[in-house]
Amino acid sequence: MTAPSTNTAKPATGIPALFKTAFINALVALVLFSLMVGIRTEAGSDGQLTYWTRFGELASLVGIVFGGSIVMELLRQWIGPTGTEKLVPPAIRSGMSFVGRYLAPALLIFTLLVPVIFYNQRYILDLAILVLTYVMLGWGLNVVVGLAGLLDLGYVAFYAVGAYSYALLATNFGWSFWVCLPLAGILAAFWGVLLGFPVLRLRGDYLAIVTLAFGEIIRLVIINWQSLTGGPNGVSGIPRPTFFGIPLDNSDDGLAAKLGIEYSSTHRIIFLFYLILALALLTNWVTIRLRRLPIGRAWEALREDEVACRALGINTTTTKLTAFATGAMFGGFAGAFFATRQGFISPESFTFQESALVLAIVVLGGMGSQLGVALAALAMIGGFELFRGLEGYRMLVFGMAMVLIMIWRPRGLIGHRAPTVYLTKAQAISSDLVKEGHG
Amino acid sequence: MTAAPTPLLAIRSLRAAYGKIEALKGVDVEINAGEIVALIGANGAGKSTLMMTIFGKPRARAGQILYEGRDITDVPTHEIAHLRIAQSPEGRRIFPRMSVAENLQMGADATECTDAEREATLQRVFTLFPRLKERYAQRGGTLSGGEQQMLAIGRALMSRPRLLLLDEPSLGLAPLIARQIFDAIRTLNRQDGLTVLIVEQNANHALKLAHRGYVMVNGLITLAGTGAELLQRPEIRAAYLEGGRHG
Repeated sequence: MTAPSTNTAKPATGIPALFKTAFINALVALVLFSLMVGIRTEAGSDGQLTYWTRFGELASLVGIVFGGSIVMELLRQWIGPTGTEKLVPPAIRSGMSFVGRYLAPALLIFTLLVPVIFYNQRYILDLAILVLTYVMLGWGLNVVVGLAGLLDLGYVAFYAVGAYSYALLATNFGWSFWVCLPLAGILAAFWGVLLGFPVLRLRGDYLAIVTLAFGEIIRLVIINWQSLTGGPNGVSGIPRPTFFGIPLDNSDDGLAAKLGIEYSSTHRIIFLFYLILALALLTNWVTIRLRRLPIGRAWEALREDEVACRALGINTTTTKLTAFATGAMFGGFAGAFFATRQGFISPESFTFQESALVLAIVVLGGMGSQLGVALAALAMIGGFELFRGLEGYRMLVFGMAMVLIMIWRPRGLIGHRAPTVYLTKAQAISSDLVKEGHG
Repeated sequence: MTAAPTPLLAIRSLRAAYGKIEALKGVDVEINAGEIVALIGANGAGKSTLMMTIFGKPRARAGQILYEGRDITDVPTHEIAHLRIAQSPEGRRIFPRMSVAENLQMGADATECTDAEREATLQRVFTLFPRLKERYAQRGGTLSGGEQQMLAIGRALMSRPRLLLLDEPSLGLAPLIARQIFDAIRTLNRQDGLTVLIVEQNANHALKLAHRGYVMVNGLITLAGTGAELLQRPEIRAAYLEGGRHG
């Protein structure tokens, strides 16, 4: 909405400039919305075109744009983009760093306690499971996009491979969830390598296009391979997970009966909650560990400069393939979990929109930042639910939120990247080493 | 400098091309262990291509690259670094978002060395370039141009090479900083016995530093000799030292 004002290198300050910008924006809005909103057309009862005008709505929209651009411009001047000097008092800044240090552990403890706090609120538990699924997908994609810098628009393909692997193995062979989970991960990783080979030489935009196509190919194969996947009808009757062989149902050998407590359907939800939490934390832990190993460093170096990597003796082929495979494996785990939670899967769950959503989570969270991705998943998925009442407008709200985040925090919510190599012991730099003009 | 019976690196009638454009048209270069060899020439002469072809990108179309008598012409790029040949590529190419520490660690990652060896190499790099120690926790991209060049050389040294290939180490640096870099290269050669192939447009500096030099024009070696000899040649002086209009 403030497009005209962003072009100026140094925004003019002062009330007249502010109103001028707002007026221009309002004018643009008037031109745009006069046709989009001002005139409403519809096919009449006999098929003829009827239209009526909605000048009231048009006026209010233009008014919102006018007021909004004033607010935006003021915010922009007060907050400013990252990189400009901020007038934040030191007290607040130290407070922020305190929050930053304890935010992750506090979030983890809160997450662990969610089933206790919201025990009887099925809706919140379901939502929490959904958020955690996306946290896990975000962390998985973060390996490919955030660390290795390979833009993958078809991540949902691996999610689908994982889901269908579990669904088909469980329904056809009756294999248990705990056998199928690693298999789903391995199969997804295998497909990751398969995707990796043809795209080894591609970068940036070209890579994005091929991965996008790959995601669609997997979905179309699932739709059309009716005999195996059931096509658009999906796979139903997928077994629920068991507590290491003990079913979580109302039967005599169910977990509730064995423990001698009264059966409640919430048990299964809570079990699913802790299951996805464990899977997500596994993803996080593995990623953090890998980042400190040569392979993780090689991923990040690959993102920075491929030529330099080769000169340093890094096999870029295997490095890329392991990144694809690792990311895909976590996608596969998440897919298997999705299948067992839903009990029914169909190709509709694995559209491009899912890929875009997960990618948005990674980018908004700050590429490569684990905490940022978790917060972004919480904000995106939680936000979707929060604004459910707004129906058609919630996508509008989210579009705006994304634009705002990208303006103010172009590197994502948490753009800071913690280094993984330190001096083994604190070493003081002796002054004789540090001399002006002596490299 | 004792000349080894076989040269450390021998390049024999090497040809390489980008598509149809032939960049190397039969190049012969020999580098003995313990030498500094300078390769000078104008823009587009093929100097950097020669450097890259040693690393297998682009692949040689014809000819041979022998390292310690072994043919490495077709060895995959990433394995060449394991042979203890290190490269500081043109334009420095450090990893801007990674810290200085991580950049240096990257140099050591692909080679098999013990922790003690790595620590010793790190200390050696710090002695050569104390600035890197000061900047240890900083992101590579925040370093100055000279510091980035030091980091690029330091990163190459972390793989404990026998042969170091340096592509335009003085490019875009202030003369004072460039001299520091050249001093460090001389120190590495004298104290550590490191063999160096240096590609430079700054012919004066490079030939003074080098034991021997080669002049490259349009993908061919046109002149070879000791650094001092080449510096005296009138055609060199005209082409590379006094204005360079004829290059």
